[in-house]
Amino acid sequence: MMKEEIFLGNGAIALGLLEAGCQVVTSYPGTPSSEILPEVVRLKKSQGLNTYVEWSTNEKVALDNAFAASIAGKRSCCCMKQVGLNVAADSLMSAAYMGTVGGFVIISCDDPGPHSSQTEQDTRLMARIAKVPVLDPSGPLEARDMARIAFEISERFRIPVILRPAIRVCHARQSMAWADLRSNEARAAFQKDPGRWAATPRFRLILHRELNHKLKEIGRLFDGLSEINFHDLQEGKTYPFGIICGGVPYAVVKDILSEQSRSDIPVLKLGAPYPFPESLASQFMEQCERVLVLEETDTLIEYLLSDKDKVMGRRSGHVPQEGELIPEAVARAVNKALETCGLEVLSIGDSREVNELVKGLSLPVRKPTLCPGCPHRASFFAIRKGRSKAIFTSDIGCYTLGLNLGSVDTCLDMGAAITMASGFYHAFGQDGTRQPIIATIGDSTFYHSGTAGLLNAVYNGARFILVILDNQITAMTGMQPTPGLGIRADGTSGVAIPLERVVRGCGIDFLEVVDPYDLSTMLGTLKRATSYVQDAAGGIAVVIARHPCVIAYRKEAIPNPRKPTVTDECVSCGFCMQRFECPALYRDEKADHTMINEVLCTGCGVCIEVCPKGAIVAVGSEQ
Amino acid sequence: MKGDKAMDTINIVLCGLGGQGILFMTKVLAEDALRRKIPVLGAETHGMAQRGGSVVSHLRMGNAKSSLVSSGQARFLLALDPWEAYRNLPFLAPGGFLFANAPEGGGPAEEVKIYLDKLGVETRITDAGMLARKIGAPLSTNLALLGFFSSFSDGGPFSHEGLHETISLISPERFRETNLKVFEAGFEQGAKRS
Repeated sequence: MMKEEIFLGNGAIALGLLEAGCQVVTSYPGTPSSEILPEVVRLKKSQGLNTYVEWSTNEKVALDNAFAASIAGKRSCCCMKQVGLNVAADSLMSAAYMGTVGGFVIISCDDPGPHSSQTEQDTRLMARIAKVPVLDPSGPLEARDMARIAFEISERFRIPVILRPAIRVCHARQSMAWADLRSNEARAAFQKDPGRWAATPRFRLILHRELNHKLKEIGRLFDGLSEINFHDLQEGKTYPFGIICGGVPYAVVKDILSEQSRSDIPVLKLGAPYPFPESLASQFMEQCERVLVLEETDTLIEYLLSDKDKVMGRRSGHVPQEGELIPEAVARAVNKALETCGLEVLSIGDSREVNELVKGLSLPVRKPTLCPGCPHRASFFAIRKGRSKAIFTSDIGCYTLGLNLGSVDTCLDMGAAITMASGFYHAFGQDGTRQPIIATIGDSTFYHSGTAGLLNAVYNGARFILVILDNQITAMTGMQPTPGLGIRADGTSGVAIPLERVVRGCGIDFLEVVDPYDLSTMLGTLKRATSYVQDAAGGIAVVIARHPCVIAYRKEAIPNPRKPTVTDECVSCGFCMQRFECPALYRDEKADHTMINEVLCTGCGVCIEVCPKGAIVAVGSEQ
Repeated sequence: MKGDKAMDTINIVLCGLGGQGILFMTKVLAEDALRRKIPVLGAETHGMAQRGGSVVSHLRMGNAKSSLVSSGQARFLLALDPWEAYRNLPFLAPGGFLFANAPEGGGPAEEVKIYLDKLGVETRITDAGMLARKIGAPLSTNLALLGFFSSFSDGGPFSHEGLHETISLISPERFRETNLKVFEAGFEQGAKRS
């Protein structure tokens, strides 16, 4: 039975995967990809499917697991964010040579903006490096269709296929019709073929040749894949100006041209830009005197077009080199190109006046902050108070926001809190300087890529304090479970692997577990850890600051909420707001001192210990 | 321009702060449109930006292809926070409608008022926060504003009855009663004025 439903883009992708009979889905969460796997779980449960799902410990692990399922003949998929594909790049490059059996789709979600990422890198360029096909959807509905197309291409050519939705696809919502789903009952079978699945360099040359041959054929297929690669040129007609685009910019361009009734501007849409559909592109270029390329976020199409003199884009300065191609940016780029061609420009409203007006209102800057009651805030406060002279290396997660509390100095990539701590230690140590260093990493990030760095640091004799901020969840990306919990992606129980066991296994002798809400105990622990790091017979000290995430586990996190109130002892020194930075604390002009917003306050009561004047007290206590 | 599909699209921008329930408010409007077979496309904020930052949600009803509303094209701007209303002013289309939650007497700043008048924007402000707090549901400010919005006949393709039914359909069981109560309180507030 057909039903109409509004799907999140990531839900539409999940639907497309299951409609295509995908049997195995693995993922490591990361914005904007995080909801794909939970949506697969939701659909699998509601439709009674036998799909295997897992939150893998990291993206490389996710890719390898799904790849094995593929060469066992099953349709499989792994999902991640664009920087996650960097982690999985080693596997990707090799898998491209080896090829696949069951359809194998890698979903890597890009974040032009960036809204929630370290970089704006373009997954399509990774596809080019790995020599695998890539599909670039312009909206949720197309992403769903492309999931099916990706499996078909993968199976037909025995090659991994990348689906690259950008954040505006992942986090768009769109209504669509869908029918009941059925399980794919294909059974696993592995054909041994060491020349392929365990290829040595001699065989790799053969596989490379095979891959190049596949690419040529797929390029020809893409020339005629009119479902996703098409243009609206009239035969025999020439145009002074045309637009080549793919992905989200295509949707924006189509809306703008339609609103402005500019049917004089032809558009070539490349939903499958690599391997490059050479003849389709050449045909478009031949009929247009100049073309503007609008693509996110880098220059793939622009580099692959042959007649560079005709091309306007990032290289010519018509399109911004960084940032998201929001509708305003697209309209500006189109107008710039139309001006270059001496053609009539679009009549876009002038938003300069209102932008100036808004700028003049000096609106409050809303920088992201840790939530009220967040246990990380307590940890960071204690860390800064205990070792203010230290270098604070940190990592990727909610706790990157510890930078607001002055307790985060670096954030490179997943796991770098530990590797940069050892790096700093040796850089200073070489000069005979004993630089104090405190690394902070979240529980999920530690499982993701903490161990290799910690093993290395112990092995090479580094000295620093590592605080693992254990809130027992992957919070930033929307509350996914960690291996420490032992709850699996579909809610069933797995085997919990406590952080303590992993840390000990990495060769750590100093390990203390502390509740960061208890500031004085945490400060005591940090003191002991400092002595251990400085002791001739010491080493790396690991402190696990364990307290459940206040959003995921409100009741467990704060079983007995307190009611902190600011008394007249408050001297408005601002220490609490600056160093503790709880959103519930604010300066009240009427009262002429700091106050607590009762709606925002969670009752964690940590601020009571923070105030140097003892001006925050708990009134009564609720059960 | 006539009969142009993209021109017929109704664009709505909803804004506020992380945790104010912008996503649920968007969902109510989207599901309501879906129930009447109007195609919907929208864009949301997830991830780091949700941690106490500005949250904006776009909703487009009709046959749009892109999920983002362009500046100057929103017929409705629904704001749960006055500062966020200001921040998102550039979205408002000439002749559009601004519905904002702000404390009593918290009308727009003079220079903003001049701009809105020039643009022909109808501004409707209510203390939705206070209304929700009075009912003991401070986190349901979003529904109070929706109720207020639903009381005006120029509220676009939405009707008070329709939204009531949609909220009843999509609210989680334990919040349904409160959600509807706050929604109705918002409606009453607006009905007095419209």
